[in-house]
Order: sequence, then structure tokens, then C-alpha cells
Amino acid sequence: MSNTKSLLTIKDLYAGIEEKQIIKGFNLDIKPGEVHAIMGPNGAGKSTMGYVLSGRDGYEVESGSVTFNGQNLLEMEIEERANAGLFLAFQYPVEIPGVSNLEFLKASVDAVRAANGEEAISSSELLKQAKAACKQVDLPLAFLKRGVNEGFSGGEKKRNELMQMLLLKPKLCILDETDSGLDIDALQLVAKGVNSQRSEDRSFIIVTHYQRLLDYIKPDFVHVLADGKIVKSGDASLALELESQGYSWLESADVENNAETKVEG
Amino acid sequence: MSEWLESAISRGHQIDDWLAPKRTQAIDLLSTTSWPTRKTEAWRYTSLRAVQNSKAHEIETKTNLLPEHITNLSAIELVFVNGKLDKEQLPDVLPKGLSICLGSDLNKEQQLQALDNFSEIKPKRHLFGLVNDALAQDVVMVSVEDGVNIAEPLRISSLLSLGSESHTRVYVTLGEGSQLAVIEDVQAEGDSLNTAFVEYNVSAKAHLEHYRFALQTGSNVSVGGCHFNLLDHSTMHSTIVAFGSDLSRLDTDIIHSGQFVDAKLNAIYLLDGNELFDLHATVEHAVPNGTTEENVRCIVAGRAKAVFNGRIHIHRDAQKTLAELNNRNLLMSKTAEINTKPELEIYADDVRCAHGATSAQVDDKALYYLQTRGIDRAKANVMLNFGFINELIDLMPNAVLSEWIRPIIRQRFSEMEVRV
Repeated sequence: MSNTKSLLTIKDLYAGIEEKQIIKGFNLDIKPGEVHAIMGPNGAGKSTMGYVLSGRDGYEVESGSVTFNGQNLLEMEIEERANAGLFLAFQYPVEIPGVSNLEFLKASVDAVRAANGEEAISSSELLKQAKAACKQVDLPLAFLKRGVNEGFSGGEKKRNELMQMLLLKPKLCILDETDSGLDIDALQLVAKGVNSQRSEDRSFIIVTHYQRLLDYIKPDFVHVLADGKIVKSGDASLALELESQGYSWLESADVENNAETKVEG
Repeated sequence: MSEWLESAISRGHQIDDWLAPKRTQAIDLLSTTSWPTRKTEAWRYTSLRAVQNSKAHEIETKTNLLPEHITNLSAIELVFVNGKLDKEQLPDVLPKGLSICLGSDLNKEQQLQALDNFSEIKPKRHLFGLVNDALAQDVVMVSVEDGVNIAEPLRISSLLSLGSESHTRVYVTLGEGSQLAVIEDVQAEGDSLNTAFVEYNVSAKAHLEHYRFALQTGSNVSVGGCHFNLLDHSTMHSTIVAFGSDLSRLDTDIIHSGQFVDAKLNAIYLLDGNELFDLHATVEHAVPNGTTEENVRCIVAGRAKAVFNGRIHIHRDAQKTLAELNNRNLLMSKTAEINTKPELEIYADDVRCAHGATSAQVDDKALYYLQTRGIDRAKANVMLNFGFINELIDLMPNAVLSEWIRPIIRQRFSEMEVRV
């Protein structure tokens, strides 16, 4: 696999918000089909990574580079990144009353299709696909007519994110603490949805605080993020190690030694 | 005093019918009222020039206009043509418990009784309400018997032909525990002038669902009012959808006369070109334990002008009142104008009352969210702006009406003149 072209390469990235540096020398290389888990304590910069990669206003990159599918990601607009195949599943998806879920899905699917030179999807075809996706994530069909995430429970919002992912078929999915606030059944459902989408040409970054999601989605690599950079990388067993040890060991000095441990895919 | 008002008064003097005592009362008040200027608070942002310059006059001719077709709507049609009730369009058989009749067709005794109630809900301060008292052509009385639920909505359509002046008047009584939905709408040709006032007396435990569609545009002048008197444990849900015209003004009064009343008012306006729409909404909490929720949202483009005055008056004894007034506005062009004024007057100490008026910006987080799904910024803005209005359409209790109005509003929104 080492000869495969990378899907995402982050090199020595420094970024933050309003002068506050949060990402401090971040390196990551992801090849098509790989599943990477990024774990770490609160405040390590896990969510910031997602915002920086998606291009959220206010998140400034100071230095470093991000290459996505051969393109300079940092020069692209938010929607261009999405249309190029980047998908961020939010920890707290926003509620948009007045914009129906179905209308939103159509605009979104059409945008991605247009970027790929395809025609807009017909309403009936979209409805068919959306219904199937709802079924897969166990979201009642009535939710398609409701405002985007409007009045959805935490778990329903997460499933709605997943439903969008199923329809948009991105190349890289970043799941930002998708497991937070989910009970075990919902967690399994989300994991099942993700696993069904694993393929040779789709990669995942699973950002999580806890190991339990990784019981159901087996990552190829696990990285520990602390103070804005990856301080340790390993295979799935690292997650178990973290589970038993917690994150307190990060505070000890020897972390530095592991900082450069880079996993070669 | 303006010539127009002088003419209205003299024409009012000439009408001699069962309403004469009320007409005289109104004329007396009008005679001592000065014609509003820009210094008159109630007309500060809305010029009456269009009324003064109007050449409209009462005409007898029939019109080719028909009430706007509303797909899938099955309603009891009450049609006014230039202020006159078109009896031919009334259904032959009305649902049991519903009566619709002309005030002039009542017997003497009934007329005396009707006189007692007529124009008692509509406050006397409305200048054009008094004009309507003086000049109302056919006064239609609608009444629902106690405990009766009228399944089909009653639709009151006003058809106004070219150059016509008309004064439409309806009085609706909901008996105790009854239920009724009323749709008021207008079809207007150019240069028409209409005053239209509807009073609603909602008895205890009754439920009124109400819509007023003021979609007339162009050189029409419309001044009207909806006035609701709400008794113990009654509920009302009203939706106003308005476009603008040369002059379009609506006054609503929601009067909590009984306790434990729940009143909701949602208003949407979309204005473009040189249009004007002015909503003055007053809520009177005269007694304790009332609830009012008001949402007013407008999108204004071109050189259009929106006016909103939202007054909530909580009287000294109206403890435990919950009142909320929310007004959000979106300016689509630099030359558009919004004049908004929430007025809270609270004389009771144990109440919860909130108001907010904002000239809304699109929510950044929502914009970002849509963009992360590939939707470009411009399109996302349009979706969010329309969503801002659509949210209130979603709240319309009658799905047939919301499905009908949604594309009409969407169309208007998409054609709006944006000048940044």
C-alpha cells in the first residue's frame, strides 16, 4: 500500500482561532481506504482539526500545508472542499428551521453532482435514495420533511449527519465525536453505517474521546492528539491502551520522544 | 380635514339603514378627528397621499374577477364584489350550526341586538375603521352555534375591480366551545380602494383559526383591520401573509377579555419595488393568565418599505400574563426600508413578557453548515433567507394553505430585487 497515492497529507500545520494557536505542528498522511482514529483529551484540538480542514471562517492557518486528492485544500472555499469529497460530520449539527431536510439534501447532492459534471438529481430519485438512507440509519421518514435537524434529539442529529454522508458519498469522512451522547444501540447503528461505507476509495478520520466507538469501527491507525499535535501513533491496540491508562500520562515528559513516531502506511 | 374624508362623511350622512345609529356615532368622531400627517404616531411612516389622490368610486358593475384558485381547498365561499355580498356564490346549504346573513335581512329585533355588538370590538381609534362604520356597504354576520365544529374553513374573498371604492364589513361570532377557520383574502385590480374590517367575537372555550392573505399589489389601496375579542379559555391562531401595494395597511387588535386565553399571531411580509405594507398589531391583556405569542418576519427588497408596530399592553390586573413578541427583518437592498417599533406597556408586576426586534443577518453557523455540504454561499444565503419565512409557513395549521402559499412566496422571493 505504500505506493498508493495519499488522499490527504497534512504537513507541519499550525493553525488557530483569533490569534490563539491550537494546532501546533500537525502531521498526518491518509491513503484511500484507511481508517484513522484521532484520540485525545478535551482541548487537544480535535474539533479544531475538523474546522480547519473544512475551512470554517475564523480558523486561520499560520503555516504548513494540506493536500487533498492532489489539490491544495487550504486555497479552496468551504463548498469546494465538500464538492471535492471532504465531509465533516459535526459533533453539534446546527438546526435550520424553515429549510426542509429534503430540500437541503437535494441542494447538497446537486452541488456535488454539478462539481462532478453530472446533472441534477430528479426529485423522485433523490427521495428514493433518501428513504433508503433513512432506513439504513433508522431515521423516521417524516424527518425528511422537517426543518434540518429541527427539534431532533442528539442521536437523531448524528444519524442525520450519517444519512447525508450516505447520500453524498465523500472520499474522506471526518467524524467529529460522532459517538458523544449516543447510547450503545445508537452507537452500534452509527458504526454499522460507517462500516457499510468503508471501501478502497473512501477514508475516514474518526475523532473521539473514548475508545468504545472503536470497538465497532476497527481503525487501521490510532493517533493521540495532545496540545495541537500528534504525540503517539499506533495500531488499534493503542486505543485499548489509552482506555486503560487514560490521558494523564500525556502530561509526563517522555511524550516528546514519541512525538515523531510516524506510522508508515 | 382632507377632501377625501369630507366626501366620505357626506356620503355617510346619506345612508339611512339599520346601522344609522352606529354610522352617526362614527361620523361624529370622524368630524372631530384631524387627518393624519407624518406627525400622527399611527401614520408616521405611512403616507396617506394614495388615499387623498385616489379617484376610486363606488361602482355597481359586476366583475370578471374570481377568487384565487387554491388547489385542494374545499371552503365555504363568502364573496364580496366591490364591497357587496354576492349571494349567488353562497352555498345553498350551510353546515349545521353555521349561519351567514346580511345585517339588512335581519328582523328588527335581531338588528337591535346586532347593533349592540357591532363595532364594539374594533377600537374607535382606527380612523379607517370609523370610515368603514360610516360607509360599510353590506354588513355580513357570521355565527357558529355553541359547541359546533365547522369542518370546512370559511373563506371571505374581496374582489375589487378597476377603479372601485368599497367598504367591506363582516362580524363573526363563535359560540361557546365552537371551532371555525376563516380565510380572508383579496383580489384587486388597479386603482381600487378598499377598507375591510372584520370583528371576531370568540366565546369561551372556542377556537378560531384565522388567515389574512393581503397579496394584492400595484396601485391598490387597502386599509383594514382584524379585531379579536377572546373570552375565557378560548384560543386563536392567526397567520397574516402580505405583499405590498401603493398603500396596504392592516391593524389587528387581540383583546384578552377572558382568562386563560391563548393567542398566536404569525405575520410574514415580502415587499419589493415601491411597495408598502404596514402592520399595527395591538394586544390587550386586560385580565390575568393570558398567553400571547407574536412572530413577525419580513423581507424587504427594492425600494419597498415595511412598517411594523407591535404594542402589548398588560393591564394592572393582568397578572401571570405570558407575552412574547418577536420581530425579525431582512433587508435585501440598500434602498429598502424597515420601520419597526415594539411597544410594551406593562402595569402588572407578575408577568413574563419578552420582545425582540432585529434586522436579521443570516446565521453564520447555518451558512457554514450548508457550505460544508457543498452548497455555495450565494445559494446557501437564499435558502436560509427563504427558510426564515418558511418557518412561519410551516406553522400554519392548515396544510392545504401552506402548500398553496409556499410556492407563491418562493416565486416572489426569487424575483425580488436585490441591490447591495
